[in-house]
Amino acid sequence: MSDLHLDLKNLIIDALGLEDISVDDIDNDAPLFGEGLGLDSVDALELGLAVQKHFSIKIDADSKDVRQHFASINALANFVASKQ
Amino acid sequence: MSWIDLQDLLLQQHTHTLAGSPELQHADLIEQSLRFAGGLKQRNIKCIALYLLDAGDLALALLGAWRAGVQVILPGDMQAQTQQRLSAQVDVFISDISQIHDFFTDPLPAAALALDEPLLILSTSGSTAQPKLIPKTLRQLHNELQVLEQLWGQSLQQAVFMGSVITQHIYGLLFRLLWPLCAGRYFIRQHLPFAEELQQHSMVCIAQQRPFVWLCSPALLKRMGSNLDWPQLAKVAQVFSSGGALPEKSGLDLTEKLKQSVTEVYGSSETGGIAWRQGGQQWHTFPQVCISQQENGALAVCSPWLAVETEYTSDAVELLSPQSFILKGRLDRVVKLEEKRISLPFLEDSLQQHPWVAEACLAVTQSGRASISALVVLNEQGLHHLRNSGRRQLTDQLRQHLSGYCEAMALPRRWRFIEQLPLNAQGKIIHSQVMDSLQQERPKLPIVKQVTGADFNWQLELKIPHDLAYFSGHFPSAPVLPGVVQVDWALHLAQQHMSLPSDFAGMEVLKFQQLVRPADEVSLSLRFEPEKNKLYFAFTMADTPCSSGRILLAGQHG
Repeated sequence: MSDLHLDLKNLIIDALGLEDISVDDIDNDAPLFGEGLGLDSVDALELGLAVQKHFSIKIDADSKDVRQHFASINALANFVASKQ
Repeated sequence: MSWIDLQDLLLQQHTHTLAGSPELQHADLIEQSLRFAGGLKQRNIKCIALYLLDAGDLALALLGAWRAGVQVILPGDMQAQTQQRLSAQVDVFISDISQIHDFFTDPLPAAALALDEPLLILSTSGSTAQPKLIPKTLRQLHNELQVLEQLWGQSLQQAVFMGSVITQHIYGLLFRLLWPLCAGRYFIRQHLPFAEELQQHSMVCIAQQRPFVWLCSPALLKRMGSNLDWPQLAKVAQVFSSGGALPEKSGLDLTEKLKQSVTEVYGSSETGGIAWRQGGQQWHTFPQVCISQQENGALAVCSPWLAVETEYTSDAVELLSPQSFILKGRLDRVVKLEEKRISLPFLEDSLQQHPWVAEACLAVTQSGRASISALVVLNEQGLHHLRNSGRRQLTDQLRQHLSGYCEAMALPRRWRFIEQLPLNAQGKIIHSQVMDSLQQERPKLPIVKQVTGADFNWQLELKIPHDLAYFSGHFPSAPVLPGVVQVDWALHLAQQHMSLPSDFAGMEVLKFQQLVRPADEVSLSLRFEPEKNKLYFAFTMADTPCSSGRILLAGQHG
């Protein structure tokens, strides 16, 4: 697991208050929302803000594929890496 | 701009386009609604449930059903459990436009819609399993729509209506669909739950030089980031927020960014709109709304859009004038989490139905975002599972069980397992202490039940907390007290009772013979030999040795 992947998983656990989830429980490829971790649409909003703040990056609001960046840890890691 | 009353939407026509992608013309809406009405009539349908996220599709379905005299239930979701619950009264569940097309047949003639039949049944935006079903007549909706137009119609002109809320609940249904439909204002079919989507649609309006309005929830408004194009977004004609209070800080922040105040609307599925405000604490009643205070301090409401003469709320209120008031919180233990109404007593009952749970008490806590937390007393069976499978497995099972009763939103994220709930002398739960327990981190020390001894010889009776933080370590599915923690406890507890050298210098003859697990009761013997600077410790459980050893100390006496 890269540092960025690990960083993102810890960010999700902290920002969303998932105290019984460990980084090992989050698959890089698995969908972040819906089934699995049990995250909802409010978590998506929270995570969007947390990612922007933590990595000092901005999500391009005009981009059509904002949702896809948050599909999985891998997608999010690629997105964050491309912005840094 | 022309207004068409709700009951006349199949008789009169707006001439301009109602919505886009795909384009919706009023003439087509009427034609298709009447064909849907024909199909419903032909099959003798009496009641349908609709879950259509496209507001244009919902308009077609509602008008068609109402023309056929068919009652419409709008559930908050279409999960299997919801359908199961409604199956006795619902003839057809519709969640896709193709199902409506399947009904199309020869149209019924256009006619006015019946105003005084309970043609609509709303469900509360509850996330507990038994959302209240609230029948409404079209007259109730019509009366409220007229007041909305009276209050804000003038200033909105030809604004495009777009919003983050779905049209299944009263706020979204009235504000995002029926109001623009009657007023002939263009509306965006889809709900836009993300700020980025709201911005994209706003930009289209700005490019076309059309004014636009937002119908949002506090959940979105309080999370709009700095990545948005605020100078452009400030062109929004008006921002509505309803479903729960917008935190004051978010309100001020938005006022600064948008150069205008958000218009908050206070109401409920039962009462419809009651009051509005633009900043500050004070609410102003809608025209034709009368308010009073009940004996228990809660607000009572009368208005032309109520089915009963007076609706009694559970919101504590301070009346400032016949037309203004301040809200003082709920009187019952019903909380709102991101605009979803959650009954804590209902969830507690549901949790207590699980075969492992003796008692449970829930509260809302804030960690990152606000969520439900659970303080749980396990019964013997539950304790057995905690001891043998670990905490993670236990909380997974309990969450799984609860998900049969509520939406994912209401599932507790934070769990604390304790021996008994904090009760006062009258046997009532002390909620402030519940809150304290839930906010604390999991314990890292044992519960000391009894201490005997003197000088350099001590005997402690200890209980291992159910929820010890160390049980989630390397073997989360086999919670055992790590050896290093036992050594640490021995030293820590010894230092509380004896004056010992401060520095740890090593260990000798360390032995671990039996596992210590959650809820175990153990004895700890401590003996210090000053001439050797050695602390002897031994943990035993019912006279069976668990662990023992010698800790070498050095340095100054503490």
